[in-house]
Amino acid sequence: MSTRPQEAAPSTSRFGRFASGDGAVAFVMILPAAILFCLFYLWPFVNGFWLSLHNWDGFSDPTWAGLSNYQRLAHDRIFLGALRNNLIFVVAVVVLKNVLGLGLALLLDRALVGRTFFRAAAFIPVTMSFVAVGLLWSWIYNPVFGLLNGALDLFGLSGLKQSWLGDANIALYSIIVVDVWKWLGFHAVIYLAGLQTIPSELYESAKMDGAGPIQRFWHVTLPMMMPIVFINTILGLSGAFVRNFDIVYVLTKGGPNHATEVVLTYMMSKAFQDGAMSYAAAIGYVLFLIVGLASVALLALMRRQRLDV
Amino acid sequence: MGTAANPSLPLGNGMASHRRRLGARGILELVGIYAALFLVLLETIYPLLWVLFGSLKTKQEMLSNIWGPPSSLVFQNYVDAWRIAGMGSRIVSSVFVTGSALIILVVVATPCAYALARLRFPGRGLVLAVAVAAMLVPPQVMAIPLFMVARDLGLINNRLGIAFVYAATSLPLSVFILRSFFVTLPADLEDAARVDGASRLAILIHIMLPLIRPGVALILIFGFIEIWNDFFLAFLLLRDPSVQTIPLGLVSFFQQYDSLWTLYFAALTITTLPVIVVFVAMQRQFIAGLTAGAVKG
Repeated sequence: MSTRPQEAAPSTSRFGRFASGDGAVAFVMILPAAILFCLFYLWPFVNGFWLSLHNWDGFSDPTWAGLSNYQRLAHDRIFLGALRNNLIFVVAVVVLKNVLGLGLALLLDRALVGRTFFRAAAFIPVTMSFVAVGLLWSWIYNPVFGLLNGALDLFGLSGLKQSWLGDANIALYSIIVVDVWKWLGFHAVIYLAGLQTIPSELYESAKMDGAGPIQRFWHVTLPMMMPIVFINTILGLSGAFVRNFDIVYVLTKGGPNHATEVVLTYMMSKAFQDGAMSYAAAIGYVLFLIVGLASVALLALMRRQRLDV
Repeated sequence: MGTAANPSLPLGNGMASHRRRLGARGILELVGIYAALFLVLLETIYPLLWVLFGSLKTKQEMLSNIWGPPSSLVFQNYVDAWRIAGMGSRIVSSVFVTGSALIILVVVATPCAYALARLRFPGRGLVLAVAVAAMLVPPQVMAIPLFMVARDLGLINNRLGIAFVYAATSLPLSVFILRSFFVTLPADLEDAARVDGASRLAILIHIMLPLIRPGVALILIFGFIEIWNDFFLAFLLLRDPSVQTIPLGLVSFFQQYDSLWTLYFAALTITTLPVIVVFVAMQRQFIAGLTAGAVKG
């Protein structure tokens, strides 16, 4: 989108045009970014694929392995379990962050006094690191002095007390709660900004047509919010696939017995505990393909719905 | 594009009409809304208060008085946590790594974004397409080859090295954000300066940069939260305890010693409270930047 008028005296050769126009300046300006990008983004990306086609422990000579790493992955029960956990995690957190985030935004939108205060309070967990959040919740879930079991005792619900992170049947869901807790305020703030762009005339005319609050939500708020729903889904989706290592590592390290293993924790343990670097690289590539496909599918859906955001 | 947030107008109308018709049902509704908001407040803030309380209790009181504030303030917990967890050197590491990464990021991303927005040159479309495509490739998926590259370049356990890696991982999004700011600036400004014979670099630094300060602030805020809080890449590339950042230091402190609960709470308070205070102080700018970016798309 060059806004500069064309310069006079165009040179004839391609290089001449390049040098006399903005080409040389642009080259110099982009060069640092290009070097940084190639070294720490493009090169690992390409090298990772090469690595996944070999067998390598990281030290001795790599040997060609073709697609055997990928074939092994297809039969690796722990990997498939991690993939399953990862998908449960993604679906659960994306749905919960959207539903609860929109709910909280609606509450904040209706608050006449103190909206800024409540909004700031809800946003505080977003500013905390995954490590801090993970440690905090490992104490909330602690069976000895944890807040959660303590609260159940307090309300006479001792029968519901659990080993929240120790029970293989519920540990994954306990982790999902933590991730939703951390990000709820982030999604609520984006929804709130979206709510405030809806013209109030739409509500007024819906009211005049006799629509109650619930009908107004389904027929005015939700349709108008669809672009924001997509934004929140994209933000939540890409994050949920690849930003779960910290929280899982801190809370359970993938245990008990791989019940909370996700793709990244498995990749890291393969690489740095078993030294299977090329196998781990293949895991990374499979994850990349899944994230990429999910993002592209969502963007295509968005375009088909003509949601121009 | 286009549906920029305009909070004052529709909101003002909604509130006014709401207030006019505040009958008994309206009051009941309002009570419900505030009750729900206080529940949200409780579930976000109380756990943090609980950590603050716990950090000032003795270990016995921690177990006997789970819920309430401490009966007396045990500041010794902070002294011990600071010493045992080696907080001083971790904070220095975190400041150095985050600061260097953000400087590198701004210095590298700004001219690139400027060139993509304002200059006409062959290959511009390709560079832009690569930046967009890269945003679909989260750096986490290439952690293993990234580790290899860093090892080959001798950047493992090197704080400046990881700063470059952080800058690279934040680069595509930052270039994209800054470019969208440069695109909106009027062309006349630049043309006038060019007639006066100013070079492109001088124009960028003296004329354009001050005008896109909100854009720079936005990438600095996002970059700060991302890099300061990062565990994954630091875990991958900083293996030696002497160079580890705060999140790594916290995790190893907890894994190294068993049940020094009150000290853990103190350590968590030391590392979390400053960030929360900065956020609360700047929250208006912060949330304005965030929502402008997201709602405009």
